[in-house]
Amino acid sequence: MPVRVVESSAPSQVSGANSGKTSPPACTLLSVGQAFSGTQNVSSLQKDEAWRVNVRIQGCDLEHGYLCGTMEALNVPMADTPVVTFWEGEIVDTINYTFFTGKWEATPEDDKKHWDKFPSFSPFKSQVEFDGGKNLDLSNYPYIFMRWKEQYFVNVGTDCGLTIAGFYYVCFSCSDGSISGFYYDPNSSPFQKLELKSTNDGRSGFSFSSYELQ
Amino acid sequence: MPTPASPSASASSSHRRASSDLMVRIGSADSEIKLRALRELKNQIIGNRTKKLFFLKLGAVPAVSCALAEAQAQAQAQAQADLLVQSAAALGSFACGFDAGVRAVLDSGAFANLVALLSFPDDKVVDAGARSLRMIYQSKLAPKYDFLQEENMEFLLSLLNSENETVTGLGASIIIHSCETVVEQKALCHAGVLKKLTSLLEGSPSQKDASLESLATIIKKNPEAASKFVSESRRALSSVTDLSKDRNPRTRLLACMCLIVIRNTSPCYLQDIGIKTKLVYLLLELLDDPGQVGEEASFAFSSLLAQKEDLQKLAFEAKAIDKLHNHLQKHLLQPRRYQGILLALAELCSKLESCRSRFLSLEVLNLVTDALTHEVADVRTAACICLRSVSRSIKSLSAGHFMKEMIVIPLVRLLHDPSTSVQVAALGAVSNIVVDFTTAKSTFLQCGGLKLLVQLSKSMDPILRLNALWGLRNLMFLADNTCKEGIFLELTAPSLSSLICDPEPFVQEQALALVRNLVDGCLDSIEYVFAEDGIILDAIGRQLQSASKAEIGIQGMYVLSNIASGNEFHKEAVMHQLLLQVNNGTQAFILKFLQSNDSQLRTAAIWTIINLTFPSSPGASSRVVKLRNAGIVSQIKTMVNDPCVDVKLRVRTALGQFMTIGDSST
Repeated sequence: MPVRVVESSAPSQVSGANSGKTSPPACTLLSVGQAFSGTQNVSSLQKDEAWRVNVRIQGCDLEHGYLCGTMEALNVPMADTPVVTFWEGEIVDTINYTFFTGKWEATPEDDKKHWDKFPSFSPFKSQVEFDGGKNLDLSNYPYIFMRWKEQYFVNVGTDCGLTIAGFYYVCFSCSDGSISGFYYDPNSSPFQKLELKSTNDGRSGFSFSSYELQ
Repeated sequence: MPTPASPSASASSSHRRASSDLMVRIGSADSEIKLRALRELKNQIIGNRTKKLFFLKLGAVPAVSCALAEAQAQAQAQAQADLLVQSAAALGSFACGFDAGVRAVLDSGAFANLVALLSFPDDKVVDAGARSLRMIYQSKLAPKYDFLQEENMEFLLSLLNSENETVTGLGASIIIHSCETVVEQKALCHAGVLKKLTSLLEGSPSQKDASLESLATIIKKNPEAASKFVSESRRALSSVTDLSKDRNPRTRLLACMCLIVIRNTSPCYLQDIGIKTKLVYLLLELLDDPGQVGEEASFAFSSLLAQKEDLQKLAFEAKAIDKLHNHLQKHLLQPRRYQGILLALAELCSKLESCRSRFLSLEVLNLVTDALTHEVADVRTAACICLRSVSRSIKSLSAGHFMKEMIVIPLVRLLHDPSTSVQVAALGAVSNIVVDFTTAKSTFLQCGGLKLLVQLSKSMDPILRLNALWGLRNLMFLADNTCKEGIFLELTAPSLSSLICDPEPFVQEQALALVRNLVDGCLDSIEYVFAEDGIILDAIGRQLQSASKAEIGIQGMYVLSNIASGNEFHKEAVMHQLLLQVNNGTQAFILKFLQSNDSQLRTAAIWTIINLTFPSSPGASSRVVKLRNAGIVSQIKTMVNDPCVDVKLRVRTALGQFMTIGDSST
């Protein structure tokens, strides 16, 4: 989700490869087409504020630890319409990506501070302190840790007065499909919390769509 | 009334007279006259396609063939040897790069006579025969040589062992033309052909080329042959590698192709980053060759990159996209070169987002779009394959880079291309482009794409049906209500139900995936499967009962699961399908799927149960009772420690719901 521009900075490029193929998800609730809604707390010292946020998963390539989708911020004060951004995600699978970001102005200390905010991270804390957790097997863990980085604005120009310079530390619960995240941008308010829940379009249950690229 | 002939008409008639005279002289009983005529004919047709055709129509090939046979019958005198040489050379000239000529030579019965020349004592005669036969073996029309017959293999070995360079070249040409099966590859290896060809790598330039090409033919897709070649002689592989630095561009290309075949056949060889990088740079350089080498280099480059992300990355770093883009910008590209460049770009963009991103930033897309309307079918196909590769970028699909009239209109036109391979390739690109995450799916409908996809989904050709349905399934993904309605009205419920029951399992799978997307999203969309007395839902039930592969079960169960996430009526309709067999006394497919080895199928099945027993729905408790009576609840209880995390978590959700609803036995 975009935040107000404080200082201009170009978004980093994700170099991750993706074949374009959609591999089966580790968790069905995180598969392509799934939607989530909730809020991002953008409170500052001046005032308490939370923006409504919708997320939709558009692509998933577990082999490359890749996930992508859109994020829609609904009640952005300075925008006439909801602001949609496209984001790309790195799944912390210790094969393609580890808990350490190594870019986007995030130091290992920043990483640890943010991961530490998720209760589900606690079993890995000491191992991550020790060697970055590079040998951890997270494949059977019921939570998926990710970094989501917004890449471009889908429906507004870059001159909209908003920035997508930062990125999110994200934790997804495979049990109920809830997502929590913390936005990190050295130039924005720290620890802006993102909280999302799986949505079901008014249904009495869960619905799943799918596509397959050729 | 006769009028004076114009100068050109007069020249033409005198030419015809001279040619008829030449034909008469070829048939002359005087050896000297015949010899001169044969030489004259040969000189006239060399490299001249028009002349070849002209003399072909005059019946020159049977006449020369006759001269050859006569000279063979009385071959002692020197004059006869010259006649043999000249007649063989003339026949070779007719066959050189000219299929009509090859056909005429074969029809004239001269082939056996040319083979017989190889046993003559006179070297010049042997050479002429071999040269002529090589020309024939360069054509697809040449007869297939049966290596599996012992005497044939011996004859081939005698050719390869010959001192005469043309004869060894003929041996290699025979292998290149006729070795097609693994059995033939094995027979050649067993007979020691690899060793002989390896030794020829040190021979003359033409022997090197012929040997490289033959080696590639024998090794292709045959790991045993690759391993034998590498292990038989320590020098073998390094000789080929050395030839990739040869002065002659054709030799360099053939050496690269041989190395690529070895690597693609047995990936354990040539893993060194140095050789990989070298191959990338060599082939990019060879692309600059203005002739056939440049054309073939792009195809070799494609086979080097195919399915190999590491090599695609190296090629990207070597600025391959920029170089191919430069070639594509040249005017009047020969169709084969055009096709080769497009296919190379397709391979480059098949896996890496960095390549696709560069492709788009250089605006190569515009040039590829132009190629969609090229007159040659192979070029159109290649352009579609290239579009298919680059449209695998979800980042670009999300930005709506492809759903534009300038791309969609020509692509839709190709859906009724006379060539099936163009249609299939176009469907591949369409299938990706219609995923489009923006709200622009309507562009495709407005361009008439939907109608054509639906038409093709009813084709007699199962490949067209599959790909058309694939496109419709992706078009249906997250489509808005108007788009969904449009697709459904065009496709109709009876057609959809018959596609679900298509004889081809992969068509069934796509049809079910399409329905899955149809009933996703807005709650009202579930109603589509109840149209026309529920024929779609009944077809799904039938298909799930007899599902021949897990993928059909997965898609079918997600259809039922999505329907089960609707209202009470929807849930009860799914219950009816699940318990139909139980009531008939046979095992319910849901039980079979819950016990499947495929974790995705187990997941889909358990989601259906979760939706049927969703706690807020009024009929949930009665459904739990029915599911328990059918043995489904007890089956789910056995799955609490399922090895798949997703299944395990869903089982917990289901059991939690049974408990909430009040299943006392839980």
